[in-house]
Amino acid sequence: MESSILSWLIFLPVIGIVFVLAAPGRYARSITWLFTFAVFLLSCTLFDPFLRSWAFDGPYGTNMHFEQIVEWINVGGFHINWHVGIDGISFPLIILTTLITWLSAWASWGFDKWKINRSPKGYFALFLLLETGVLGTFAALDFFLFYIFWEVMLLPMYFLIGVWGGPRKEYAAIKFFLYTLAGSVLMLIALLAMYFASADVTGTGTFSLIEYATHPEIAKEFNNPARLFLGWPFAKVMFVMLFIGFMIKVPIFPFHTWLPDAHVEAPTPISMILAGILLKLGAYGFLRVCYPIFPSAAVWAAYFLAVLGLVNIIYGALCCLAQSDFKRLVAYSSISHMGYVLLGIAVMTTVGFQGAMFQILAHGISSPMCFFLVGVIYDRAHHRDINRFGGLWLSMPRYGSLATLGFFASLGLPGLCGFIGEIWVLLGTFSAPWPWAKPVAVIAAFGVVLTAGYILWMIQRVYLGKLRKEYASYPDATARETAILIPMAALAIFMGILPSYTFDLMNGTLADVLDVLQPAITAAQDVVIAMGG
Amino acid sequence: MWMPTGDELSMLGPHWALVGTIVAILIGAIIAGRNWRVAGTIAMVGGLLTAGLCALGWKGLGTNWAGMAGGAGGVPMLVADQFSYFFIFLISIFLVLIAGMWFLGQDARLPEKLARKRDATEFYVLLVGSAFGMALMVSTTNLLMIIIAVEMTSLPSYALAGFRKKHRLATEASLKYILFGAVTSAIMIYGASLLYGQYHSLDIVVIGRAIVEQLTIGTTEAGGAILNAPTVLMSVSIVAFMIGAMFKVSAVPFHFWCPDVFEGASIEITTWLSVASKAAGLGLLLRVVAVLAAQLGDGAEQTLNWVRLAVAVMAALTCTLGNFSAYRQTNMKRLFAFSSIAHAGYMLMAVAIILPTGGAASGAAHPAFSAIVLYITVYLLMNLGVFGCIAMVYWATGREDIGAFNGLIRRSPVIAVMMVAFLFSLVGMPPLGGFIAKFWLLAALFDSGPIGILLVIVAVANTLFSLYYYARVAFAMCFSDDGQPAIRVPFLGQAAATVCALAILLIGTLWAGNIKTFSDERSSNLYAVTKQAEQPVEEAVKTAELDFRE
Repeated sequence: MESSILSWLIFLPVIGIVFVLAAPGRYARSITWLFTFAVFLLSCTLFDPFLRSWAFDGPYGTNMHFEQIVEWINVGGFHINWHVGIDGISFPLIILTTLITWLSAWASWGFDKWKINRSPKGYFALFLLLETGVLGTFAALDFFLFYIFWEVMLLPMYFLIGVWGGPRKEYAAIKFFLYTLAGSVLMLIALLAMYFASADVTGTGTFSLIEYATHPEIAKEFNNPARLFLGWPFAKVMFVMLFIGFMIKVPIFPFHTWLPDAHVEAPTPISMILAGILLKLGAYGFLRVCYPIFPSAAVWAAYFLAVLGLVNIIYGALCCLAQSDFKRLVAYSSISHMGYVLLGIAVMTTVGFQGAMFQILAHGISSPMCFFLVGVIYDRAHHRDINRFGGLWLSMPRYGSLATLGFFASLGLPGLCGFIGEIWVLLGTFSAPWPWAKPVAVIAAFGVVLTAGYILWMIQRVYLGKLRKEYASYPDATARETAILIPMAALAIFMGILPSYTFDLMNGTLADVLDVLQPAITAAQDVVIAMGG
Repeated sequence: MWMPTGDELSMLGPHWALVGTIVAILIGAIIAGRNWRVAGTIAMVGGLLTAGLCALGWKGLGTNWAGMAGGAGGVPMLVADQFSYFFIFLISIFLVLIAGMWFLGQDARLPEKLARKRDATEFYVLLVGSAFGMALMVSTTNLLMIIIAVEMTSLPSYALAGFRKKHRLATEASLKYILFGAVTSAIMIYGASLLYGQYHSLDIVVIGRAIVEQLTIGTTEAGGAILNAPTVLMSVSIVAFMIGAMFKVSAVPFHFWCPDVFEGASIEITTWLSVASKAAGLGLLLRVVAVLAAQLGDGAEQTLNWVRLAVAVMAALTCTLGNFSAYRQTNMKRLFAFSSIAHAGYMLMAVAIILPTGGAASGAAHPAFSAIVLYITVYLLMNLGVFGCIAMVYWATGREDIGAFNGLIRRSPVIAVMMVAFLFSLVGMPPLGGFIAKFWLLAALFDSGPIGILLVIVAVANTLFSLYYYARVAFAMCFSDDGQPAIRVPFLGQAAATVCALAILLIGTLWAGNIKTFSDERSSNLYAVTKQAEQPVEEAVKTAELDFRE
């Protein structure tokens, strides 16, 4: 089914940029609000096929919806297409993107308060460009296109942090840029290598991410241990390069250090986008690029990746315990939570995959909420030192209740979204057929305790206790702030109580990806069994 | 006595147009006196005419090449093919733009303003003169002609570099340029004479064939020649000869003139040298290596492997050193001098991959040539944009250091935004043209075997290194505002920068395929690469000798 709706979705924000630039600066925020809301509404029209039983019929790659293929570059044997389409992996992320972007556009509403002499036009134009980049990356099925959109995101983010950020914004912005570009150049090498490898097989090469995974000969050749790249096995080298490219974005230890800096310096709405959406791109990259295309390498690296995920969980949580900066704490909690995503993907079980994907969405709801909650209090207090707060719930009851809900969702309290993701990942890991899976699951479970530790301790210091008098006069959350928090809070509860609705959107495609991986997993387990494991 | 036919003469239309422009400027000075407007207008019209002739020529040439015969043994002295026409087109368009830049700068309140007005005639004659030299450089395979072309390019450039007569740095730059140029020219001529001494021909096509004869020790079953290892003398002479082109390209270790000249020369000249000199040098280098490779055929891989390795190492060093040296620069012209060295390094990589495909290509587009054509086109736009923005800030503030750019986003938003686009295009970020240029170059490299893949790795690592100093400029413009007053920039300058940036954006998105098609067409069916097997070597050499004695 050919459809141009995704193209409209991707380029609607660009049309918004034109309006933002043409209109006087004081209208920029309203225009952006309208356009991001329009994009959100438009993305909601994509729900239809995913609610039907036939949505996920057929193997991986055959059940793309709203697919559009237009030839873009066809010269010198190169075929590069404008190829977009969505399935159960990308669709929930697109909805998440449009929702969170809309909410953070709303959160930027108080722009004149936090940056008086900086151009709102520039801010909102870059903001919309960022949305285009993210939506394009999620929708792209052509690797070249994917790469272009991946890079398109970098520049707006660099300027959004660098121009409108906090005191150490320059450092944070260039650090973010350098880290991410390092990942992208690795991806660029892989892009070329995979293209020419596919050309070796089929004569005319392809950039299609779907064909890489499903074309029988290409998939066979990619995972052929005899195929070498500069003397090393092709699949492993490609997997590692792509994985590093994506893990920087997630971010996975040891490439995580840009994240706390970027978050602390970025303005609140940008932090919301960064945590809620941009981190998910890395995890999406694992699911779309690394795993289905290089199953053999995925199995080979499984243990190592699971340990990396484990390190993220534990190390991120321990770092949280040591923070006194409110925003830095939430940033490190993102690192810890994204560790569950990697762990769930690495074990390659149905439950693990589902848990990882659910955790992606749950974190996509809870972390922007947490960052916004921090932003609300920062707007009033102009500092973020946890130890200087106290008893805020008393002066700001509505804010305090929503804050507790948001942080509990992040904590993983049963009944809220965070719980489902974490428990599914832990179950998936525990039931995984790898010999190392059970110890890893046991250690990862301790992460939950640590998470509860730092969140409860933080809530105690900030919201509970005696109300300090300098905070007594603070107004409660305004109508706008409440309106931004309510959708996220509602989703956190909805996803926590009725997770099956969310699972239904993605399970079919996740099963398809696992089907692609299954032969490699089986082969690896045969080896384990043969070794008496 | 050989006489060119009418057809052959018309093939050289662009060359004639450039020579005519020089004459016209001089005559114009006799009639209108020292009038900078007249001289500049004639130069611009001449440049446009040349470019127009080239663009018409593309159609006329079709898939053929044509040469001015009568050189050595029927081997043409000058060549007119898609590739040479493209480079002349590029250079003459660039000439027009540089003349336009000089026009815009005329209104600026500069200390050297009067001198600029008075000496405009000389300026344009020298400028067009060096353009003519470059036009010769990209359209010949004859040793003598190459040397003449290199000198024809260099001598006006030396004078242009020191054109700000009362400026201490300009004088120093000019002197440094002359010294370096003289030494490299001497080495080049030495190499040429060694080649002539060994192979008794001035034409690289014939020399290539003679090398095959000299080295052949048997034939393969398929009929190809098995070649002996290259002799030391041959290696030395080829390397020495290529140094002249390396100097023009500013490849490491022949790059030392570049930053000083760029800093000392007036900004129009800096811009001119940053693109045109490199373009011509690359055109020459590509052609020389490709011609040799084509004549050597199957044996090229083995015989010229060391050339490839040497060029590859040089290219890798050039871009790495260029990028790292740019880190500490605070003068914008110097900074972008190193940036241009780095980009020369990327382009030089394409020269290193000619060999594996050189023997085979006959009618099809040559990937290395095509990559260079595309890269240099985009590079022209990016560099023109960057230097144009630097020039406009210089004209308004009289400063060239990076501090003059602080807070530019407030002081002149249009210039700052366009500058950001140029900077990140130079980094190679999609969706800007710089990425497309880099992508096709990397794709060509990647497809050429292990050395190419290693070069790809070097190139992408350098992309990462280069980000920091380009971002530093963006950073000064957007993040660090120290309250300098807003600047006034000419409207036409803003418009030109906007057009450049838009073109780069379009090349990166909608035209990404078209520009590749364009560069494929410009680099297909090259005279240089087709093997000339009609005439036996002895005969060619004999006629060549006779010809030369006459």
